[in-house]
This record gives sequence, C-alpha cells and structure tokens, in this order.
Amino acid sequence: MRILRSNRHKYCADGSFMKEFILDTEVTPEFLDFIKHYGSLEMLPGLGEGFYKFEKSDCFSIKGFLNESSFEVRFKKEVMDFTSDFLYSMLYCYRDGKPDFNTLNRRNEALMERVRTRLHGNKS
Amino acid sequence: MLKQENSLIYLNNAATSWPKPPGVIQAVQESLELPFGGGRGTGKTQRDYLTEGRETVAQFFGEESPDTIVFSSNATDALNTLIHGFTASSPEKFHVITTTLEHNSVLRPLHHLEKKGRIELDHISFSNAKVNPEAIIEAVTDKTRLVVMNHGSNVLGSVQDIRAVGEYLHDKDIFFIVDGSQTAGHIPLDLSAIEFDAFVFTGHKALFGMPGIGGFCIRNPDPVLPVRMGGTGTDSGSLDQPGDLPERYEIGTHNYPGIASLIAGITFLQSIGMDALQRRADRQTELFIKELSSEPGITIYNPDPELPIIAFNIPGLDNDDVGYILARKDNIVVRTGLHCAPLLHKEIDDGAGCVRISPSWFTTDEECRIAADAIKEIAHHAYSQI
Repeated sequence: MRILRSNRHKYCADGSFMKEFILDTEVTPEFLDFIKHYGSLEMLPGLGEGFYKFEKSDCFSIKGFLNESSFEVRFKKEVMDFTSDFLYSMLYCYRDGKPDFNTLNRRNEALMERVRTRLHGNKS
Repeated sequence: MLKQENSLIYLNNAATSWPKPPGVIQAVQESLELPFGGGRGTGKTQRDYLTEGRETVAQFFGEESPDTIVFSSNATDALNTLIHGFTASSPEKFHVITTTLEHNSVLRPLHHLEKKGRIELDHISFSNAKVNPEAIIEAVTDKTRLVVMNHGSNVLGSVQDIRAVGEYLHDKDIFFIVDGSQTAGHIPLDLSAIEFDAFVFTGHKALFGMPGIGGFCIRNPDPVLPVRMGGTGTDSGSLDQPGDLPERYEIGTHNYPGIASLIAGITFLQSIGMDALQRRADRQTELFIKELSSEPGITIYNPDPELPIIAFNIPGLDNDDVGYILARKDNIVVRTGLHCAPLLHKEIDDGAGCVRISPSWFTTDEECRIAADAIKEIAHHAYSQI
C-alpha cells in the first residue's frame, strides 16, 4: 500500500497535526487486522461501510471508512518527525495483501524507543 | 445551483454561508467586469460601490449616517483595528471587560494586550448561554475603559442583551464594542436604538457576501487611533494618515467585489424579509432540537437557541469523529471542535469541543430531517457500543 498524496493539513484543537492521505488502494478488513498489532482499533461497523479508528499511543491516530482509498491521520506534534516515517513503513509493509510483520516489528521497536526518549526522557 | 448537483447538505453557515444567492455571484462578476474607478467617475461604465455599500449597510442596520460605516476584511480584522486602536490612544494601563462567550477574534487580541501589561482583563461568565448584564455592570471599576462582547454566540446561538449593557455604559467614559458577527443578517437590527461605540459585522456569514469583506459602525472614532497607515487616495500630499472617516481606518485598495457581494447579499435578505428569514430559521432549529432530543445518546448544549445554531455531542464519540462520519458517509458538512471559542467550551464540555449545526435560508426542511436522522443513527450505534 502506498500514499499517493496528502491533502488538508491543519493543527487541531488538541495540538495534533492532521493530514488527509490519498492511498493507491482501498483500506480492507485484512489491512486493519494487520495494523491493530501496532495499536488499538475501534470500529462502528453498523455505519455504512464501517467507520474505524486506529490509535497508536503517543504517535498518531488514523480514522476512515473501510473500502475507501483515503484516511485522516492526526500526528502527535512532538514526535511527528519519527512517526510520519513509521506511517509510511506501515503501509509499505502491507503489499498486495501480504503483511510483513518482521520488518515492521523491528521498525516499531526502534520507533517506540525514540518516541519514549523524546516524550519521557528515558529509554525504559 | 451547485447545491442540487452534488446533494451536499451544508450545515456550517455560522462559519461561512453557502450557497450564495445567485444575485451575489452575479454582482461579484459584474464588479470585476467594470473598470476600476481610481477616485474619479467614468460616466456610465462605473458604479460607486463604496458609497452604495455604506448606504446599504447603514440602512439595513438602522444606522442614521452611512459615514459611520467602515469596511474591513472581516470581523477579526475590524475587532483588531478597534481593540488595538483604542489601546494605542490610552497611555495608562486600563481595565477591560469581556465574556467567556467570545470568539478568539476578541479573546486573542485582549490576551495579547494583557500579556504585554497594557490592560487588566476580566472575563464574565455565562449561565444558560446568556451573560447577565448585571454581572458586567458589577465588574466595572474606576479603571474600566473598554467593554467588548458579542451580540450572538457562535456556539450556543444565544443573543446577548447589549441594549442593557449599552444603556449603563452610555454616560460612562467606557468604550463599548459589540461583535455582531453572528446576529447581522439573522435578526432585525435597529442600531439607532442601541447605545454602543462600535458595532462589528462580517459579510460572509448571514449577510451572504463573499469571504474577505466585513466592517464596523463607529460613532465616536476619537478614542480609536489608526494602527495601520497607508494609501487612501485622498490628501496624498500629507505623510500623516487622514483623521477623518473612513480613511482613518480604510487603507489600501478596497475589496470592490466583496463590497458588491455585501450589497447584493443584503438586497437578497431585504427581498425575503427578516420576519420570513427568522420564521424559517426558528422552524428548522426547533426541528433539529426536537429530533436530536429524542435520541438518548445525544447531549444538546443549547436546547433553546435564538439563532439557527445547535451544539451537541455524542458521548463516547470524539466530536471530530462525528463530523468525519457525517462528511464522508452522508455528505453532510458540520463544524466540530472549539469553534474558536475556547473559554466557552471549558464551561460547557471541559474544553473537549462539540459538533455545531447551523442551517441557512437555503437549507430545506428535508435536508434538516436527513441530517437529524444521520446524526441519530451515529448516536444509536455509538450508544449500542457502550
């Protein structure tokens, strides 16, 4: 999965930075099954095609509808320089419906260490 | 019109009205087709938008003299001109009263001046969406020189008793600025019956003009120094800013298309009549309140608004998520978040923000019902998840 472009950038009331991303393919239930390993996933399945919200604590949240080729991301501003790269990795590691857990797990560990250091000042 | 073609339901008119009346779009196009006047008439090929604009605004607001009308980019621009201009004329630190209902267009300039040590600032709270005029009067001290408050709340749709406040301040040495951004075009205004020093309006909301035009009516400009200087097309040999209205505050080339849109927007309102406008707004507001109140999963913050504004939340769902779902699933545009009114939200929802619905004359009853059903459906699903 790839990001084709991003639209509508703005700072939100909670201080996060919001971007809308246009993807090269639709978000599927299988993709959500993949990313929920890296955060929490909430769904309101009764609403149309299914509203979902993915939260990667301390990093970013994603909201969108299943089967749509776009979603909205809110980045925690303080660590956005790290986490935006991870978002791209998360999509890159899901190619042709095949998840690459090994690569993303390594990147996730590295990311969270840097995020903890930046936000909390230690590596524990 | 575009509205029918894409079936968008637009309920964000308290931010910027859409669609615009056909006459407004036509007026903007005509203004761009006409040659620029440059201070001298060119016979039949030109319209005096400035004079016509001031006369139209003054007549619509019941203000006796068109010469008191000053154009600006929007209400925020006007409020900055007035607040900073007033402060510039006061060498000593002074006391200012405002309210927690205000928009950041008032709160931020005042907060900036407070941080700079130029003013002492008091925010008067509200109850049931209203600021009690007595609370403002009680807050007045011998150092109070300025009161700034809105006429209509952009979140709770309540109309404040500016007449009572104005009557009290009238014989005091206190400058009274009223932000009429949300009431101008929604309720009949007779400014001649209200004591104030400056009344601010914006063109792009209920007056149906385009973004980029607003202004204020100022009765006594002496205490408000010009804080921006530049070309006015008059008295050009002098390096001093002209002191007379409107050149005292209007600098640079005017927004002629904006003024043309404002004239056409007001003309449209007059063709309908304020009574008819209010009747429709009241009916649609009541429809939303009744429908949303019937769903247990919805919290309404203003069950009795005087303006067509309804503020609510769905417990268990972030207000931004509700706006996102409405936009993406139902093609319904609402506004979410703090609505640039952070102090108000601290009082009603602990600063989390809410969802705001604001229909206009162009919103149909059927669209209101569709939107209410869509909101109730979201609430129903959210409620069943708890």
